[in-house]
Amino acid sequence: MSAQDKVAINKLPTGVLGLDEIVGGGLPEFSFNIIAGAPGSGKTTLAHQFVFANATPERPALYFTVLGESAIKMLRYQQQYTFFDPAKLPGSIRFINLSQVVLEKDLGAVLAEIIKEVEKANPAVVVVDSFRTMVRRPQGSPSELDLQSFIQHLALFLASWQATTFLIGEYDEDELRDNPVFTVADGLIWLRQIAERNSVVRKLQIMKLRGQASVPGLHTFRITDAGLQAFSRTFGLSGHKKRPPSQRRLSIGVPELDKMMGGGIPEGDSVLITGASGTGKSVLATQFIAAGIRQGEPGIVAVFEERPQAYADRAGSFGLDLESPQKDGTLLILYLRPLDLSVDETMNEILDAVKRIGAKRLVIDSLAGFEMALSPGFREDFRESLYRMIFALTGIGVTILSTVEVDESFTEFPFSTYSISFLTDDIVRLRYVSIEGELRKIVVIIKMRGGDHSQDIREYEITSEGMVIAGERLKDYQHLITGIPERLRASEKKKVIE
Amino acid sequence: MLQLGARDLAQRLLAHEAAADKTSVSAESAALRVHEKLRRSLCVLAGVAGYRSLASRALTLAKARAPGLRAMQVTADGTLQMHSEARSESHKGLAGDNQVILISELLGLLHAFIGEALTLRLLREAWPNAVFEDCDSGEEEKA
Repeated sequence: MSAQDKVAINKLPTGVLGLDEIVGGGLPEFSFNIIAGAPGSGKTTLAHQFVFANATPERPALYFTVLGESAIKMLRYQQQYTFFDPAKLPGSIRFINLSQVVLEKDLGAVLAEIIKEVEKANPAVVVVDSFRTMVRRPQGSPSELDLQSFIQHLALFLASWQATTFLIGEYDEDELRDNPVFTVADGLIWLRQIAERNSVVRKLQIMKLRGQASVPGLHTFRITDAGLQAFSRTFGLSGHKKRPPSQRRLSIGVPELDKMMGGGIPEGDSVLITGASGTGKSVLATQFIAAGIRQGEPGIVAVFEERPQAYADRAGSFGLDLESPQKDGTLLILYLRPLDLSVDETMNEILDAVKRIGAKRLVIDSLAGFEMALSPGFREDFRESLYRMIFALTGIGVTILSTVEVDESFTEFPFSTYSISFLTDDIVRLRYVSIEGELRKIVVIIKMRGGDHSQDIREYEITSEGMVIAGERLKDYQHLITGIPERLRASEKKKVIE
Repeated sequence: MLQLGARDLAQRLLAHEAAADKTSVSAESAALRVHEKLRRSLCVLAGVAGYRSLASRALTLAKARAPGLRAMQVTADGTLQMHSEARSESHKGLAGDNQVILISELLGLLHAFIGEALTLRLLREAWPNAVFEDCDSGEEEKA
């Protein structure tokens, strides 16, 4: 069958930021869906968002409430969300309470009542909240056959009447196999709320969606004043083509270091600046951003350990003006809310900022701060999350510079405590060395995936102008990377030079 | 409180119902009709049990302000009626200001739970011909 012979399935907006991308562009029109999850997981709010996004006076939404949350209280709470538009009631959204029928009659009467209301209103959207309480009735649960027949007739009727339907229920995942409602459903959205240590993480999964491809896996979501906001595992970039590799080199902001890197950082690379506390990682990161702004490349700095103003003030003390570019919109310093973040949320904020200002450079200062800002559950997946994030960002051509603090050891030369060096294209190592009774600093390029780089070990200083590489490579010492070098004797020095 | 005031709104609804039924001389019938229209509209939204509890609460609050309402009760289906024993006596029931107090308590409760905008929308639905222009909450449906 050719593409034009196939029926086109209209996709309806979910009304939930980020969810359309996850479900493959919107929910299929006339589909019969289940929103499942434990109490408090956001099921009713999700249904309301869909209803408010799609109901019109011509094709209204019918919202059937059954036993459980009182409709009055539901309206009281739901109107606190910004998506709640009271003007849509009762013309476009009609709430109908079925408690009496459910309590006093059988499923046949419940079906008849729903049919009567649907035929009267010709709705585009029908919600039954909660379907679970409707079928778990006080007169005892209906037989499996009765239940199956009820669900079958309901699904058939609502689809024939061209309604997109949502049944809301407090289901356990154990019920997935045996409950007939899951077999009949075209779509199954499962919401979870997981307590991890002192944090709560919300995740959703599209367990089933007929007719179109959804993004698999667990996606985090948050409930804010605006209702649910979902964060796709693919960061909303699943349809984006990866940019072809660039030949362009970007200045890191320290000319001598650019030379050591073979002309600068290849555009679209992920660079890791690693070193002990006080070695100047943040200073170098700021120089990288400032160099970009000078070149007309907007930048973003994601900070986790200090407030944006403090970050800008510190840059100012090195003669780097981060105030003006913030005012003219070429720089954004993002301070990301700590302690219960998911990588997906962080990514969403960063990607929004990238799109907003057309950023070419991104600084993550630091990875340790980033990890600490995450909810404990996400920390376990930090490496995997970081991989997805870096892949997604560099894929759209952003050059990322991340800083990471490592413990200074005088016996080892670790690149990173996170074992994430495989995620980065380039690694710059900063290190303290003890020379002639002074604690001095050296820099070395460990890796440049894009090509040749200097093998030199160079001394640098942090001056009022930032990082400055001083002098030639340190030829007079050996074992520099141990931090406790030894001065070479004249004969050994001659051998090194040769 | 409602922009117009629950009392003013109650008076307006009662006057509207009284004017609509010129055949009846009973003020009580206007109050019962207002209550009945609210009952029908709110039972769809909140269910019979939901409405009954709301009406019972409103009647309790109203009785505290108007002892004459002690003769009234809310039945199982949410309708308002006089106690059977009170019917034979000379109870005031819904006469005079009592009806305004009762309806205003009910409107006040609705306002407290669902806010002004939704309360007015529900009233407009129940009284499509009544005039609520000066109590417009400014919420017009976006196209």
